[in-house]
Amino acid sequence: MAGLISTNTFWTLWLFVHLILAVGLLGALTHQAMAVALPVRQPAGGIVTRFRAVPAAGYATAVCVLWVLTFLVGSYIYTKYRIFIRIPLEQTGHYKTGGFFDFKEHVASLGLVLLPAYWYFWKNAQNPEYDNARKGVTLVLAVMCWFLFIVGHVLNNTRGFAS
Amino acid sequence: MSTTASRAAPAPSSLAASARFKTFATTFSISGPVIYCLIQYFNWPLFTFHPATDRLVWGYEAARSGEGPNMLWYGWTATTILIAAALGLIAMMLPERISRKIPLALVWIFPILAVPYVIYSLMPWWTHP
Repeated sequence: MAGLISTNTFWTLWLFVHLILAVGLLGALTHQAMAVALPVRQPAGGIVTRFRAVPAAGYATAVCVLWVLTFLVGSYIYTKYRIFIRIPLEQTGHYKTGGFFDFKEHVASLGLVLLPAYWYFWKNAQNPEYDNARKGVTLVLAVMCWFLFIVGHVLNNTRGFAS
Repeated sequence: MSTTASRAAPAPSSLAASARFKTFATTFSISGPVIYCLIQYFNWPLFTFHPATDRLVWGYEAARSGEGPNMLWYGWTATTILIAAALGLIAMMLPERISRKIPLALVWIFPILAVPYVIYSLMPWWTHP
């Protein structure tokens, strides 16, 4: 990329890709979580009801692909975070902020290993035997995703885009 | 519990219809969080990455003077995936009457139980003066 865009722009673009993927993942998982936690008995209704009434099973593969892609892009930009973000955070005494990033990386890995079972349960959504497990794992992944998103957002505000 | 919206799914593909894949997937996902915590506790990364020098070494290697920090998380995650996949493959060999007894609720219970340990493992961050 030398000469075409600056190094800062290059990594900012990757951070932006990470954000876009995360937004897609967050939307898909939140729809699914709402569909399993507050199932709609009757179609139509207001915007909240329609938000919950999505064909949730159709999101499963997209959620898995988006989680893996977001994870991979996040892993790629993590190398720069480790040197250019974390070290200044430590030098300026922002230890809890740094701690929350490490918490985020662990949660991302914990979520990653749930994907095979999550996918299987949703691909067998007709089977009531998996209803509770599917609901549980979907809600856990949705909470994880919101946590990852919020921590990433706060960290970006601390020292992210163009810093 | 589920409704038309959340249950409406196409007929399962051959992979999703496979009982063996179910055993692999559930074993992988149940054991994954437990293995991750153990790997992190014992510090057994498959490899260590040194981002300042782009150096990758097998296993654990401490940060070297003048070469910046080391990164272990990639290695912890890789070790976890390998061991969880191996356990999944072993579980696939079990007779179905045994593999059917794997409690599916553990898929979401174990990651929740892992969170307090993860928070505890980050104690130096929280208690740093």
